[in-house]
Amino acid sequence: MSNTSGQATAFMALTPIRPGEEEALRTFLDALPQPTSPLTRLPGTHFARWVILDDWVNDPSQGRGDHLASRYLIFTSNFDGPLDPYLDELCVRLAPEAKEIWGRCVGCPPDATGPQLKAYLLHNKIDTGFFVAAYPHATVAQVKAALAGREQLIAFAVRAQGMRAEDLRSAFVEEF
Amino acid sequence: MSEPAAPSGPVTTTGTAPANVDGQAIAITVFSAVKPLGRVWLPLVFWFATTFPKSSGTLARLSFIHFARWSLVRKIPFNGPPQRQEKLNYPHLFFESNFNGGWEEYIDAFSHILTRGMKFFWGTSYGFPQPLPTGPFKTYIKRNEIVASHFYGAYPEATTTMILSALELAPKLDAFKARTRNMSAEAFAEQWRLFLADVQDCL
Repeated sequence: MSNTSGQATAFMALTPIRPGEEEALRTFLDALPQPTSPLTRLPGTHFARWVILDDWVNDPSQGRGDHLASRYLIFTSNFDGPLDPYLDELCVRLAPEAKEIWGRCVGCPPDATGPQLKAYLLHNKIDTGFFVAAYPHATVAQVKAALAGREQLIAFAVRAQGMRAEDLRSAFVEEF
Repeated sequence: MSEPAAPSGPVTTTGTAPANVDGQAIAITVFSAVKPLGRVWLPLVFWFATTFPKSSGTLARLSFIHFARWSLVRKIPFNGPPQRQEKLNYPHLFFESNFNGGWEEYIDAFSHILTRGMKFFWGTSYGFPQPLPTGPFKTYIKRNEIVASHFYGAYPEATTTMILSALELAPKLDAFKARTRNMSAEAFAEQWRLFLADVQDCL
């Protein structure tokens, strides 16, 4: 079991969708905008997703099929730091959407927020067996800052071509 | 040349469903039923890959994977009625990846570069056709893949290579700034040229 890689943590919750709520949940999730995703309110989130699992995938070579009695909502997130503070933050900052999302799942507390929602998500947690990250020690903030710095340097390097030494130094000091 | 897998729904130019895409980032989510041997084998593979990170070095060096994970689902948490207790005939292997590039290229790279690792992870899954040739493997992944309902990336336009380059560049730029703070213009210009030569692979 390995839910961490460097400072990054992997979380997965598998929650049963209440009968009759599947299509409403699917419609709600499908309509969430990406650039202004509610997950932007969790600044430590690198990547996250919601997936609806209708049934297990069965292969003809299995002796017998495996079928789910309910549909399930999968939530996975790859984020900075330990799980506890992340879930604390999630259960507050995602409260408006949480009621529309986990509120449609069996066992979710009625107001779908705070410590009760956290306990619910932890109860439905699925541990990660193996977790790998390309930049396990970099936080979202560090990644964004590094990308911005790289873009700034590229733009400066292009602009600085052919500059005299004195102008180059002045421009660099001003830019950086 | 491998035979392309048949898409299971609408696809983008990246080869996957629009809902699996956020900017340059692509989500893949795959479940597979695991043979009885996998109950023992997969925890060993997970333990080995975690304990000896160099064993999965090839995976880490695949320059287009941001984060990836495998989990073995042996039982499903019970929350009381109206959920019915799930009785699983098999454990199920969950795989997710967050990567950039194209779906076809991703699976090609997995098959060709991680041939042995793929057998370790999926060798105990029912229907796993071996990583090579890639055609049957792509068909297998397509059949077992579940499209995300919502996928989010914090820096969707950045590729893994861009991020690794930027993270390598940042301390070098800081060091350059500190080193040249009190230099004459001529000395600075010379150091600037050397600095650009040093970091050109990061730009």
